[in-house]
Amino acid sequence: MSIKLGIPVIDDVIDIPTGKVVTYCVDPEVEGDVFLMQTLHENSEKCKCTLVITNMSPMVARNRFKEFGWNINFPIVDAYSGLVGDLSNEKYVVKDPSNAEELSKIVEDAIKENDLVAINSLSTMIDLCGERIVEYFKSWGKLATINNSVLVVNFVAWPYDEKIINAVKACSNAIVKIGGVHHRVIIGQYYGLVKVDWTEVKKKLILFKVIKPGGVRAYIPKILVTGPYNAGKTTFIHAISNKAVSVDRLGTTVALDHGYVEYKGFTIDIFGTPGQERFDPLLKMLGGEAFGVIVVVDSTKPEDFPRAKEMLEKTTKFGLPYVIAANKQDLPNALHPEEIRKRMSLPTNTPIISMSAINGEGVYDVLDALLKILLG
Amino acid sequence: MNIKEMLEKILKDLRAVGDVDASAIVSRDGLLIAADIPQNINAEAFAAMTAAMLGAAETATSELGKGVPDRVIVEGKEGKIIATGAGSKALLVVMTNPKANLGLVLFKIGKASDKIKEVLK
Ligand SMILES: Nc1nc2c(ncn2[C@@H]2O[C@H](COP(=O)(O)OP(=O)(O)O)[C@@H](O)[C@H]2O)c(=O)[nH]1
Ligand SMILES: [Mg+2]
Repeated sequence: MSIKLGIPVIDDVIDIPTGKVVTYCVDPEVEGDVFLMQTLHENSEKCKCTLVITNMSPMVARNRFKEFGWNINFPIVDAYSGLVGDLSNEKYVVKDPSNAEELSKIVEDAIKENDLVAINSLSTMIDLCGERIVEYFKSWGKLATINNSVLVVNFVAWPYDEKIINAVKACSNAIVKIGGVHHRVIIGQYYGLVKVDWTEVKKKLILFKVIKPGGVRAYIPKILVTGPYNAGKTTFIHAISNKAVSVDRLGTTVALDHGYVEYKGFTIDIFGTPGQERFDPLLKMLGGEAFGVIVVVDSTKPEDFPRAKEMLEKTTKFGLPYVIAANKQDLPNALHPEEIRKRMSLPTNTPIISMSAINGEGVYDVLDALLKILLG
Repeated sequence: MNIKEMLEKILKDLRAVGDVDASAIVSRDGLLIAADIPQNINAEAFAAMTAAMLGAAETATSELGKGVPDRVIVEGKEGKIIATGAGSKALLVVMTNPKANLGLVLFKIGKASDKIKEVLK
């Protein structure tokens, strides 16, 4: 048996076997408890789950889930009401959450009776009971192993003693780090697996956005779509986007296209450029900070391939990943992708994907090909 | 306070000017950095278009040999949109109601733009 965390990209990389402890290690500046909630939502229909809460009332917790369009249809371990003197009618109640023995005993019951126990949060427990709770945490992990259940905890990495932080990390079989980034003009949030002790995985950090309703989405702030005039860039962007706007005048794009794509747990902003040379200053201006490039070519127009190659070189000179979309494959005189590779003298490992943007055929294959390189 | 919070504070202070309905800080290349914008507006697309608008205006005037424009003002019946540079990396765009006191708003935008430039430096 194993479970999924319900987090985009991470789910493609690992399953969590039973008996493991997974820690969401959250920078204090980021609101990261949505990750734990999303993991519960992912599993609540599939196995017996419970949520231990120490930092909000059951009612507030239920409302938090509702904001994302999710329901709490599993029992709650209420380690909050006792603290503020409220009565509780949850399945599991900790009368005095600052009493480590009592708290631990009830968490142990929860582990014995459930397949997935989510704790929100271990850091509040440390604040309430002191650092000896980390010793208990260690024993909960062992109990989870014996009972074939999974323990998922939220840990806000306040500036605790190094010793505590290291102990928490050591007790975790997997750690997902969630933090803030400020790199040039990208001010956002990222997550990534930083530890997995039972298998080899590539460690990769992923930007994300939180959507309500919806939850965590991996986020790509910019994919650039470029290519010669009339190749089908605007058509392609509208075909893959949930929402798209274009500044088209006299039948052609004069400023840019912008598309918003929700796909496979990702949200992606797509920028399309005009094709004519007279707009190249804009290309340079708007091409910055792209994560990847899609070059659209009209497969029936080999005379435009040199221009496509030029645009490719203008936008990818910093080693950006790119794919070629061989558009208008519905037309009888369309060249085969391999023929295009030859004529554009592209390396053999460059993906060239057949597409007919106007019919929507192959448009997601193009996106998949680029995502595959991006996630390498 | 982290950078994002600082930028959001600058935008909130702008809103306090009264005639300002919404504002955003956008990278020169069209990414949304921070926004104080009503939910129903597609902020990402708005950011991209604003960057294209200011970028195109700057390119147009420099082609004329007239240097870099201080700002682009778009006037409509429903309101005005003012886009201005905020350092080399970012720009500031502000939406006002149609009756806004432009002099005061431009003054405040100038101040805000200087602050943004400092924060992003
Ligand atoms: N037959 C065919 N025509 C297409 C296809 N994609 C786009 N077009 C047409 O090609 C023309 C240019 O498309 P557009 O998306 O505006 O090109 P852009 O200049 O690259 O943005 C339009 O008339 C489209 O209808 C396709 O897959 N097949
Ligand atoms: Mg176009």
